[in-house]
Amino acid sequence: MINKPLTIGKAAKYLGISVDTLRRWDKNGKLFAKKSKGGHRYYEELVLKSFKEDVFALATAWVLDAPSVPKQEFYCPTSSEFRGRLSKLQSSLGKVDELKDYYSLIVAVVGEIGNNSFDHNLGNWPDISGIYFSFDVAKKQIAIADRGRGVLRTLKKVKPSIRNDEEALHTAFTEKISGRAPESRGNGLKFVLQVILERAIQLEFYSGGAKVIVTKDDKTLDIQKTDLYYSGCLALIEY
Amino acid sequence: MNMKIELKKFGDLLTSRQDGKEALAAIEQQLQTLSENSVIEIDFDGVITFTPSWADEFLTKLVERFGTRVTLINTKNPSVIATLSILKKLG
Repeated sequence: MINKPLTIGKAAKYLGISVDTLRRWDKNGKLFAKKSKGGHRYYEELVLKSFKEDVFALATAWVLDAPSVPKQEFYCPTSSEFRGRLSKLQSSLGKVDELKDYYSLIVAVVGEIGNNSFDHNLGNWPDISGIYFSFDVAKKQIAIADRGRGVLRTLKKVKPSIRNDEEALHTAFTEKISGRAPESRGNGLKFVLQVILERAIQLEFYSGGAKVIVTKDDKTLDIQKTDLYYSGCLALIEY
Repeated sequence: MNMKIELKKFGDLLTSRQDGKEALAAIEQQLQTLSENSVIEIDFDGVITFTPSWADEFLTKLVERFGTRVTLINTKNPSVIATLSILKKLG
């Protein structure tokens, strides 16, 4: 492969993200642009290639960017498409010997998060319907994202006292409540929390202006404000 | 006569509410012909991934209707154990 230089516009297209995101990444050091002698920014194709394989970076960019339909390989426009791809994840993880005791739990966690996106946004997607779903079995990473209404707007319907994104995340992970009232269900994220506390799985979950990192044995549920705004929900899972 | 439901007939990946609802609809006719006091045995053999969303629409509904007449077998899969545990915990 020739390591040819690409302009910022071509680099953005190559990664399937916006020029603004690339500028932001250059500024915050996530992905530096190089500068030509003439002062023009450019990117090396080999660097972009390794970045392109970063499932977390691309899913995050998709949520933060202006609305756009994801690349087909990452896009599940419907829940039945999601089920098909989830089945592929199940079969890929099922072949990994070290996961044989708990791969079904990883798939269950991903299934609950992805299906939540569909259940809570059906007929109400603000811009792009469906979810972004990608995984890298070699790197042990899975990303799920939606550009839906987010946890706060969903839960506020049934619990108007929730004041901000942090409280919304806390409620979603700890209280039995459903954003689909009058159905008195909504065990998805409680289930996710219960599973992760007992297994070697890590979850970073973002919605609106808040995030939480859940890891094995850590019951503190440390919810933090974020600098950036995540429209909908973004879940990054490592195992 | 007792009724046996082999969940694997609905697939080995039982995760969404929609799929749970469809599975319940598929056995509705059999449920209606069930004689009083007969038992519904739900067999998890062959199920790989099982979640509370699917279970809420299928298992919870069956238990609401038939109570202790619903029995579960072959529940050793980790995602089945975790799902049954959260359903029990959250009622």
